[in-house]
Amino acid sequence: MKRMRSDPPRRLRAALLSLLLFSSPVQATLTVFACEPEWADLVHRLLPDARIDVATHARQDPHHIEARPSLIAALRRADLAVCTGASLESGWLPMLQQRAANPRVQTGEPGLFLAADHVQLIDAQPGFISPFAGDVHPEGNPHLHLDPERLARVGQALSSRLKQLLPERADEIAARHDDWQRQWAERMRQWRAQAAPLRAMPVVVQHGTFAYLWRWIGVTPLADLEPRPGIPPAPRHLQAVLDRTRAAAPVAIVTALHQDPQPARWLARQLPGQPPVLRLPATVTGVPGSQDDPGPAPDLDRLFSHLLTALVEAHARQPSNPDGKRPEPADTPPAGAP
Amino acid sequence: MNRAGRRPVLLPALMALPLMAPLAAAPAGSAPVPPPPVAGALPHETGTTAVAPLAPAPMVAPSAGATSTGAAPVPPPSAPSPNTIRLAQRAFSDATAASGYRMNAGSPWQLGLVLDVGATSRELALGMRQQGLGLGHSDISAQGGLGRHLDARITLAAHHHHDELEAHLEELWVQSRLLPHGLSLRLGRMASGLSPLNEQHPHADDFAERPLAWRAFLGGHWFDDGLRLGWTAPTRHYVQAGMEVFRGRQLIQSATPATGHHRAATGVLWLRSGGDLGMAHSWQASVGWLYNRRVATEDAHHHHHGHGADDGHDHAGHLHAHGAAFSGRRLWLAEINWKWAPEGNNHRQQLRLHGAWVRVTGLTPATPRREHHDAGVLSLVWRFRPDGEVGVRHERLQVQMPHNDHFHPGRLRETALMLAWKPSHRQALRLQFSRQHDAVSIVPTHRSVMLHYVIGFGAHEAHAF
Repeated sequence: MKRMRSDPPRRLRAALLSLLLFSSPVQATLTVFACEPEWADLVHRLLPDARIDVATHARQDPHHIEARPSLIAALRRADLAVCTGASLESGWLPMLQQRAANPRVQTGEPGLFLAADHVQLIDAQPGFISPFAGDVHPEGNPHLHLDPERLARVGQALSSRLKQLLPERADEIAARHDDWQRQWAERMRQWRAQAAPLRAMPVVVQHGTFAYLWRWIGVTPLADLEPRPGIPPAPRHLQAVLDRTRAAAPVAIVTALHQDPQPARWLARQLPGQPPVLRLPATVTGVPGSQDDPGPAPDLDRLFSHLLTALVEAHARQPSNPDGKRPEPADTPPAGAP
Repeated sequence: MNRAGRRPVLLPALMALPLMAPLAAAPAGSAPVPPPPVAGALPHETGTTAVAPLAPAPMVAPSAGATSTGAAPVPPPSAPSPNTIRLAQRAFSDATAASGYRMNAGSPWQLGLVLDVGATSRELALGMRQQGLGLGHSDISAQGGLGRHLDARITLAAHHHHDELEAHLEELWVQSRLLPHGLSLRLGRMASGLSPLNEQHPHADDFAERPLAWRAFLGGHWFDDGLRLGWTAPTRHYVQAGMEVFRGRQLIQSATPATGHHRAATGVLWLRSGGDLGMAHSWQASVGWLYNRRVATEDAHHHHHGHGADDGHDHAGHLHAHGAAFSGRRLWLAEINWKWAPEGNNHRQQLRLHGAWVRVTGLTPATPRREHHDAGVLSLVWRFRPDGEVGVRHERLQVQMPHNDHFHPGRLRETALMLAWKPSHRQALRLQFSRQHDAVSIVPTHRSVMLHYVIGFGAHEAHAF
């Protein structure tokens, strides 16, 4: 878990506070607990002076976090918790809420903001979920932050919530939100243009991490290496995927940074054409205000740029069509097939 | 968090009605959300304290082609999907929030069932699993909110003991949600917070049997009737202090007449702390103290453990504890958990270290202080892939067994090696080899092999540390 601003020692802070109390009024701000880095970045855009603790990072699988003591302490001091919902954090957030004993961030209170409450999700699966089906989310696919349009909607809802919690700064938050929406709409236009050649590109994926991104750019994955979420792919399933994708010649195999690349690499070696295995960050890799290396996606804008650039490069690098056009699958003889 | 003063609910409810119509008519599937208008004020941003139109912009586009993704043609409107209903509830909730009325207050109710079925070659001394095929600690539980201010939980547990299915009520508590300053109050039947491991259900353990210290002094998993007051400090490092008062009937099931009448017979105090070291390491340490006024009868002791061959009792393997097998007036417990995962990604690989030390003093009212029970455990578990773990555990027990007017020492060592396959967090298949040795006055089980399978349905148990 990363802190975003350095924390002066307590005594010094108390002294500063008492000094400030007798001088000009301190601008009210919030201490925010962000479950995932994408929400930390969104909060930072709307309220740059918020003190943000991020619970996870791009190299961790957010489904399997444990409710460890550092997260309990971070939630204890939060005024607002911003999380995805849709059962993504159901394995650890309720335990954190119980142990932190912070009345502000309990379920149903204004201090808990769940992004999934404000947008429509895909692949909802209500009804009985067998324990052999993996980590199925009945509400739908929770990785909604990878759709720029849903992200805009969440940004709108989040700015409303921030205004509800800090009414004295509502105008300022509204102005920042409008700025961000304007920039975001402009970026979306650029990304749509950049992603135009990717439409109907064949890819193999692992888990539904990027499902919203595929829908936004018009790609239908050929196969999923991990159809039962959270359960590592079995050899029999890998063989079935190989058989199905051999003729279709996928452009790339896309996995997330926190996933084990071994199954993807195995498949790439077996396929004719040896498509590249792209290990892409599923979320923002940077923590604003931190001194660490921010990685390839320091914020939301550059996350989408990075993802689209990687996909466009893979698409352009196909050996059989330097001009970027896809051959029909029937025209491609399966090279190296037995 | 300033809210406007109390307003009637009716007015915001009426204003929210126009919202419901477009949402109910929305198609059940795939239209992505269009970007909100960029320029100008959005309809609901009229001010900070006005109650009136807090109607957010429509969340689902009406069908006509505002999408750029080339998604399939939108199907005709049908009955609202669960998604749409949820969004409508949220819109209503947002619209009425400023009036102080909150819909969907509290946590939703969730039901869970865990079954633990195992086969054991030989029952361990002080063991919880019976020989042969049997149900290990299985339970069914429901947890949710009772309005805004309370959370509640009920758990019924069952296990096999000598081919008889024994069931008991394990948890039935209500807990505060909104107390200030990090306080929390829990009332009812609950697992004691004396140690983090004690709060965990046995089917979630890393090994097939609880450590000896818990089996000997706490009946495996000590739950009791009473109240708990907890406090989480607002510090950078996690610090939690807790105090509990219990009836003590679950700890000492049959007490002497002189001590059995106490209504609040057991008190517990504990302190926990923990934190992270970098991205990869995390730890938690806790100390606990238990004060117990109930003195177990001698019959209880005879029931719990044999006295060796000279007594003519053959209690080999029949050391099944209901409540504490060995008890005293005061119990001290120190526990540490240390976990390491490369880059903090505990799903792929993780190393877990667990250690605890327990001492019980004040064995009977007349006992000199230096007579005590001791137990210690150290275990190491390595998750080498997302679905596989291997672990080793070593433990020691030293007790003073009362016999008429004197004590004679008892001792036991146990070593276990386990291999587990966990394809998801709902299932575990574990093979464990256990060996009890260096025993004095307790009949050890020299070798035991256990194979057990745990499967969970419904709401899965939260990943406590």
